[in-house]
Amino acid sequence: MAISTKVTAQRSPGPGRFRPGRGSLAIPPLLFVLVLLLGPIIFIGLFSVGLRSNIPGASVAFTSTNWHDFLFSAGNPFRKRFAYSMEVALAVSILTTIAAFPLAYFLSFVARKHRYTYLLLLLAPFFTSFLLRVIAWQIMLNDNGVVNWLVQAIGLQPHGDPVKWLIYSNFSVGLVLFYSWVPFVALPIFAVLENMDHKLLEAASDLGASRLATFLRVTLPLSLPGVIAGFVFVLIPTTGEFITPLFVGGPNNQLFGNSIQSFFSDSPDWNYGSVLAVTLVAIVLLLMLVFGRYLNTDLRAAPSGGDK
Amino acid sequence: MEQSSFDRRKFLGGTAGAVGGAALLAACGSPASNTTPSASVSRPAVAAESGNLSILEWGGYEAAGTKAQTAGMTVAGADYTTKYGTSGLTYTYITNDDQGLQKATSSGPFDIMHPCHENIKDYVDRGLVQPWDPELLASFGDLNPYLVKQGQVDGKQYMIPWDWGYASLTYRTDHVDAADATGWDLLWNPKYKGKVSMWNGASSAFEVAALVLGYPDMDNLTADQISAAKAKLIEQKPNNKFYWDSEYSQMQPAVKSGTVWVAYSWQDTLVSMKSANVPVAFMNPTQGRLSWFCGFMLGAKTENYYHAHDYVESFINEAACVQMTNAYAYGTSNTKVTPDKVTDQALATSLGLGDPHALEGASVHLQSWQANKAAVELAWQEVKSA
Repeated sequence: MAISTKVTAQRSPGPGRFRPGRGSLAIPPLLFVLVLLLGPIIFIGLFSVGLRSNIPGASVAFTSTNWHDFLFSAGNPFRKRFAYSMEVALAVSILTTIAAFPLAYFLSFVARKHRYTYLLLLLAPFFTSFLLRVIAWQIMLNDNGVVNWLVQAIGLQPHGDPVKWLIYSNFSVGLVLFYSWVPFVALPIFAVLENMDHKLLEAASDLGASRLATFLRVTLPLSLPGVIAGFVFVLIPTTGEFITPLFVGGPNNQLFGNSIQSFFSDSPDWNYGSVLAVTLVAIVLLLMLVFGRYLNTDLRAAPSGGDK
Repeated sequence: MEQSSFDRRKFLGGTAGAVGGAALLAACGSPASNTTPSASVSRPAVAAESGNLSILEWGGYEAAGTKAQTAGMTVAGADYTTKYGTSGLTYTYITNDDQGLQKATSSGPFDIMHPCHENIKDYVDRGLVQPWDPELLASFGDLNPYLVKQGQVDGKQYMIPWDWGYASLTYRTDHVDAADATGWDLLWNPKYKGKVSMWNGASSAFEVAALVLGYPDMDNLTADQISAAKAKLIEQKPNNKFYWDSEYSQMQPAVKSGTVWVAYSWQDTLVSMKSANVPVAFMNPTQGRLSWFCGFMLGAKTENYYHAHDYVESFINEAACVQMTNAYAYGTSNTKVTPDKVTDQALATSLGLGDPHALEGASVHLQSWQANKAAVELAWQEVKSA
């Protein structure tokens, strides 16, 4: 009904009439987001304050007990787990970004002719499922895994005494997260470096700048939008990560995402789990707001100022 | 009682006949004389049912002949799959009791579920299940009366008991000193730090802590006892290599490979380790073993009432139960499985297989419904996040 009205309006445009411009094309995706993203968040919100229950026949009434417990009770384990997860996410994001930069630099400036071949190689592991790759790491890092077999075979470790921190540790969780995200961070940095005006480098060289000075004063500042985009690409998904710690993390290395997952899959009560889920959504939204303006930067264009 | 069940049988026969077109309607008892709710509902006959059973199961218990059945259970379920084929059977898997209840509530409806004794009340209270009609199960009369009674709520047979067993610690005898392996305290022993694996099962973990702390009423813990048990479990947490979820893909391979030396387990682990020549023992703790029994529950909304009964009958009959006991070293509810039918006689003696009173002793703590389940659940989440 509404659609036909719009079509009529479009056919006979006149002053004062509603004219759906090109913006009307955004209605389907907007509806999609409203129904499939905002809707569930509202539901989870209702669960978190006890206005809904997953237990048939349970009485529902507004209560802020779970929120109060999570936010204010002394030594709340979920709050501590949240802080710990944020630290892990931040550390992984920083390390991944630092490692991805030389990779992108290599692709863009060193491997010029074959850069897309190398890029394809870099992305090759991503043709298999994430879950399989995490399980593959489990096979590598296990007490009887490939790595432990190797260190024992070459005598770095006595036989029958595997390196214990290789798996079910902070190390293994960090390593697998790092491995998973490096290519994703390299991509936006690579895109920025690719589109950098290389004449600027020549100009710097002509003016007597050393290669290091050129890098620090030209290349690095110009690549910052890509660096920040890459950093955010890791930070936001890692705050809710749960697959990696589930497979290669021990009881003490589980992240906030695992607490949420556990509440929803193993516990008969979704209400407390919803408190944690809403918190995570809020934090992700906050991060998006803070970093959003960097993400809006068109990575293909030279940063503003370059054109002038 | 006798009269009522006679009526019910006649009525059900009449319903089936009417749908099938047979001229039995005249012999049918008056519906008004039926008192059981299951009988007052008119149902399509077995031939009119689709036969598509959606089953919530633990891995390894799939019916014989299905692709999923890999543990070699060729008898349990065979009567059903021979008669109806395997294409109508769909399995959804669970790895712990709470998850089972969670899935039954949120991702069903299932036609058949396989929970354990401790959750019967939850399934009934949540309206997930309906009573079975024992008259439709030929082997029902052979079942252990003690377990049958425990499977009833308000006199109705909500659970058809099938499997029972113990939970204790399986430990590698080549790595763990026999002197250390006397009680559940072994889980806390710092000597085996990083070589221990507790099960990710909320109520079981708290029952173990209760036994160690000496709370006799392990399924009725007070708030103070729950917080003491929580502290005790947090103290145990660093000893774990991991909390295991999957018996076959996590715990057993870890014990086999020596990644873990001490694991919370059921007695079937003993069998699989023996067949792999891994030296293990199944502890008889000073505080006593935990024990459990599970069984089949019928989905409240099932459209395959008769198929579901046939399915369960194919598991509880004597031949299926004998194979089940020999395959997993679990007890079964069928009293015709006497100790002499167990292949491994030593195992039969040590585990009380074929003993209908095995679960009634004082030293076997039968895992039961917990009044403070919600508090225990939350406390377990806190332990895991601590």
